[in-house]
Amino acid sequence: MTTYARPGSVDEALELLLEDGAAVLAGGTDLAGQIDRGISAPGLLVDLQDTGLGGIAPDGKGLRVGAATTLADVAEHTLLAPYAAVTTAARLAASQLLRNQGTVGGNLCQHTRCWYYRGEEWNCWLGGGDTCFAQIGDHRKHNLEEGDCISAHPSDLAPALAVCGATVVVRALHGEREIPLLDLFRRPTADNRSLVTLERGELVVAVRLPAPPDASLYLRTGERQAFSFPLVSVAAARHGTALTVAAAGVANIPRAIDPADPLAGLPGHPQSAWKRQVLETLVERALVTLRT
Amino acid sequence: MEVILEVNGERHSVVPSGRRLLAVLRDDLELLGTKLACGEGACGACAVLVDGRPVNACLLLAEAAVGHQIVTIEGLSVGRAHAVQEAFVAEDALQCGYCTPGQVVSATALLERTPAPTREQIHEAMAGNLCRCGAYPKIERAILRAAGSA
Amino acid sequence: MSRFVRTRTEMEGRYEDVWALVDESDDTESWAPDAALSLVGRPVPRQDGAARAAGRARFTVDVRLAGTLHAVVLRSPVAHGRVRSLDLDGARAVPGVRAVIGPDSELSLTTRSPLLRGEPGYAGAPVAVVAADTLEAAHAGVLALALDLEVLPHLVDVEEGLREQRFTADPTDEARGDAEVALAAAEVTVELSLETPGQLQTALEPHAAVASWEGERLTIWVSTQGMFAARDELARAFGLRKSDVRVLTEFVGGGFGAKQGAGFEALAAAELSRIAGRPVRLVNDRHGEQLDGGRRAASRQTVRLGASRDGTITAIDADAVIGMGQGGWMPPVLIPARTLYRCADVRALTFPVKTNLRAQNAFRAPGVMEGTTAFEQAIDELALALDMDPLELRRRNHTDIDQVSGSPYSSNQLLACYDRAAELAGWAARGELREPQPDGLLRGMGCASQIWWGGGGPPSHATVRLDSEGHATVMTGIQDIGTGTLTSAQIVAAEELGLPLAHVRALGGDTAPNVYGPIAGGSQTTPSVMPAVRSAAAKVRKTLLQLAGDVFEIAVGDLEVSDGRIRSRDGAIDVEVTEVTAKLGDATIDGSGSRGPNPGGFVVHTFGCQIAQVSVDAALGEVRVERVVAVHDVGRIVNPLTASSQVEGGVLQGVAFALTEELVVDPTTGIPVNAYLDDYKIPTIADTPEIVIDFPGIADENLPTTGTKGLGEPPIIPTAAAIANAFAHATGRRAVALPLTRDRVLEALA
Repeated sequence: MTTYARPGSVDEALELLLEDGAAVLAGGTDLAGQIDRGISAPGLLVDLQDTGLGGIAPDGKGLRVGAATTLADVAEHTLLAPYAAVTTAARLAASQLLRNQGTVGGNLCQHTRCWYYRGEEWNCWLGGGDTCFAQIGDHRKHNLEEGDCISAHPSDLAPALAVCGATVVVRALHGEREIPLLDLFRRPTADNRSLVTLERGELVVAVRLPAPPDASLYLRTGERQAFSFPLVSVAAARHGTALTVAAAGVANIPRAIDPADPLAGLPGHPQSAWKRQVLETLVERALVTLRT
Repeated sequence: MEVILEVNGERHSVVPSGRRLLAVLRDDLELLGTKLACGEGACGACAVLVDGRPVNACLLLAEAAVGHQIVTIEGLSVGRAHAVQEAFVAEDALQCGYCTPGQVVSATALLERTPAPTREQIHEAMAGNLCRCGAYPKIERAILRAAGSA
Repeated sequence: MSRFVRTRTEMEGRYEDVWALVDESDDTESWAPDAALSLVGRPVPRQDGAARAAGRARFTVDVRLAGTLHAVVLRSPVAHGRVRSLDLDGARAVPGVRAVIGPDSELSLTTRSPLLRGEPGYAGAPVAVVAADTLEAAHAGVLALALDLEVLPHLVDVEEGLREQRFTADPTDEARGDAEVALAAAEVTVELSLETPGQLQTALEPHAAVASWEGERLTIWVSTQGMFAARDELARAFGLRKSDVRVLTEFVGGGFGAKQGAGFEALAAAELSRIAGRPVRLVNDRHGEQLDGGRRAASRQTVRLGASRDGTITAIDADAVIGMGQGGWMPPVLIPARTLYRCADVRALTFPVKTNLRAQNAFRAPGVMEGTTAFEQAIDELALALDMDPLELRRRNHTDIDQVSGSPYSSNQLLACYDRAAELAGWAARGELREPQPDGLLRGMGCASQIWWGGGGPPSHATVRLDSEGHATVMTGIQDIGTGTLTSAQIVAAEELGLPLAHVRALGGDTAPNVYGPIAGGSQTTPSVMPAVRSAAAKVRKTLLQLAGDVFEIAVGDLEVSDGRIRSRDGAIDVEVTEVTAKLGDATIDGSGSRGPNPGGFVVHTFGCQIAQVSVDAALGEVRVERVVAVHDVGRIVNPLTASSQVEGGVLQGVAFALTEELVVDPTTGIPVNAYLDDYKIPTIADTPEIVIDFPGIADENLPTTGTKGLGEPPIIPTAAAIANAFAHATGRRAVALPLTRDRVLEALA
């Protein structure tokens, strides 16, 4: 039986999160599916809605976006308008119904959509098993890297925030640390299949954005014209003459892309290699737009 | 544990027992207009308004809805919502009708925020409400019609 | 006077000789094609639209009976296995569990195949069912079953099944003339091999049933397209009289072919309810529905065509390998090859391969849609080889004679459909689409033809009752699964009765009145039921006018009724209908009508043409359908509003078949990987192209009394082929498999 708690402060939430089987409940859009498909079975749900982690506020020359801010608020908030990559990514993610529920923190920490990982009939390597069924099965939507797991990361926000120079504020009872956005992610290893670098008891409380780039954009390809996870997406930003590019859908985690050699380190697998051309095209189009 | 849910302006005492809002609405409050179709936020048949915003009731923990104003299709019968329903009937923006309550909830929320939506805005706001019968062309027309009549 | 006549009925191309009851006193004459009708042919909103829009429509999943138990199905987690152990008693010991059935349980029902199998042949196959006080308790009961399965070898690869000659039935060889000789002699030949995907019906209301017994009488709500088929199946299975089974299905949340008869859900719910002595509700969860609700079978088809230089098709040689799953009726995939164009030398080979998936079943235009998808692409390849306009090639090979039987069609407006579709689509200027486009995309336009049955036939009945307030109730055997057919019955009855629409209501969805209607499938409801409704209404009108004659002491022949008023031809009498009906008191005027047989010597079919325009982003492998023009000949249109909705729905499902929908099966385990709504991509509102619709709307004078044909299937049939042809026009390439996902498009363009 799962119990529910709605702490009134972040510290109270952090205390609760130290309990065995505790899980963070923000929008719950990913967590509900994990529970229903038997991927997660938390004993305690720690609901963040009363912890004051929502909201977007000026922060020096940049902004601070609370982890519990909904994707809909990110998409619509005027303060975020100078970060076009971020607002576009939020606007194109999921559906209006899910954007009204899903949060920034949840979008970053969501699990992969790999159909073997999500499927109730398989216990795959990423889920703690021995076999990556995608590598011996159907991996048309999977990633382009070598590895024990070839699942693709589905976050729209992560690459967009990354190219805008975002950092993630991670808090635990003993203190706070701030890391570059892409450092929130790690590739799974045999002894630790997690995709994030959060330690037990740590919580993403905010994303901080520095002064906006001179220009930024987000391009995505999905399975239909709306309401699908990105197959490949590319975010790009220009600071002066410097170009930064990141992508989703091509690796276990959101990945920085070298604008001069976008396919470096991304050989692809037999059925997923088609994504290379899509990635290359999106990067090329992004750069053309940013340079003009 | 017993909690109070505010649904369609009325306070209801319910025991969520870890269930989602959709289950409590349908099974405890017998508000049967809100439908279960996919159970994972992939179709919008269970859309309800929470503090005026449409969300998937199949994903929302009932306990997380405590303290919020919940409005279901049964609570949408006046004003703009009524105009939306009339437009859906007039334009034949429904076939089997199973997804229709969710469509009406999303359309009403859209028009509250964006009284004169463009085609693109309609698509952005409504793409989470699947209609397997394919009433989409007429849903779009019904929303435009309701917008014009408001 | 009633008598029996021997006649031939048709359902999705399966013909059956039956006795039909004919009412000899029924002198209803057909409406002339140009008859001035006041309601039929005008757009009318659905009579139950407000209930649907307000969420008041009660579907099977919404039925709430006191003391209801909730049933959960334990499904096979493997493609093929054998139950080693299953702890039924363990499940029965779970608090709240009231009934449990497994493969070896003694059941009171008998069915042709076991309800539950100890050797499940596909992932998702029901192995056991648990009914309990709550859904949670039922799930706990399923866990307590502790299913242990021995995994057996599976086969899901259709080519492998073909090599191993694993068939669900003998392959068929349907031939006329000598296609091989004709191909060898042909001046021009083309060959095309294509794969079409498995497509899931995905009705948003899953299969569901709520069963309740009172002694030996069963009342059961079933989400079904065929309530009478369900009634008969349940009566047979439980050894009951038909009149002791009542099936209710007022609102059905979509079916698309998947919900035929009682189905597993109704049989299991009734059995569990009988065991537990309480009502039982069984509703598939979405994963169960996507695994076990049904599927359009995947196919691999090869089409070889021969023609003379002038574009006359001289040879058609087609074969289809169909991934049947565990069985089912063989879908008529090669009907388009055999019937769409005039050709004397035709051969069609069909191989029904047995695989470890659920038995395929009907999905809107089963067989014919996927057959058209391949065949009409081959026709475009022939046009290319001949350097001929694809529409012109189709016109040149048009036929008014059914190529299989040699009988003429009862009506056929296909040539008019070509002309109208071409005009609406701007076909003449399609070449301009291939010039460089300002947005950098490639564009193209393609067409495809449609053929389907849809003539309906007996038996179908209706009763009309007119009350003292001048309101009429039409009782039908219609299951209005979203098609609007009840509203069509309302319109036809009001037209015939001369009453305003608001004074007429059509009912269906209940077997208790025993007013028979056909299954809502095969595009047969409108052509079957509307003549029966008209006939019943005509009798009531006749009686009403007779009574009016008595009241006003005037010859019946001098009276008429329209728009709720009775008038004499000389204008002396002009009164509300209630002037007469009020005198009925508590009596009513009743009439019953039946559908007469289709005339002999003809074959009844529907026809149409669709033209699609697509854009292609070649670098991203992205295809968008920008517009679909759909022109279908389905005889007289009763309600253009709901008719256009049917076309839009069919076109959209066809668009999705072409672009996004595909059941993906894991080759290693044989289990579908995308049997959920998040991964199985049905279209959203943003995927909707502009859909331009027209109907010739010319009544079929050879069909009884209303001249209407069915419209459920026709609009899905040519859409994917038209899109694939447009893609080929835009890119000069043809993808070897649908749907046109990015990976396939990039491969085709590489």
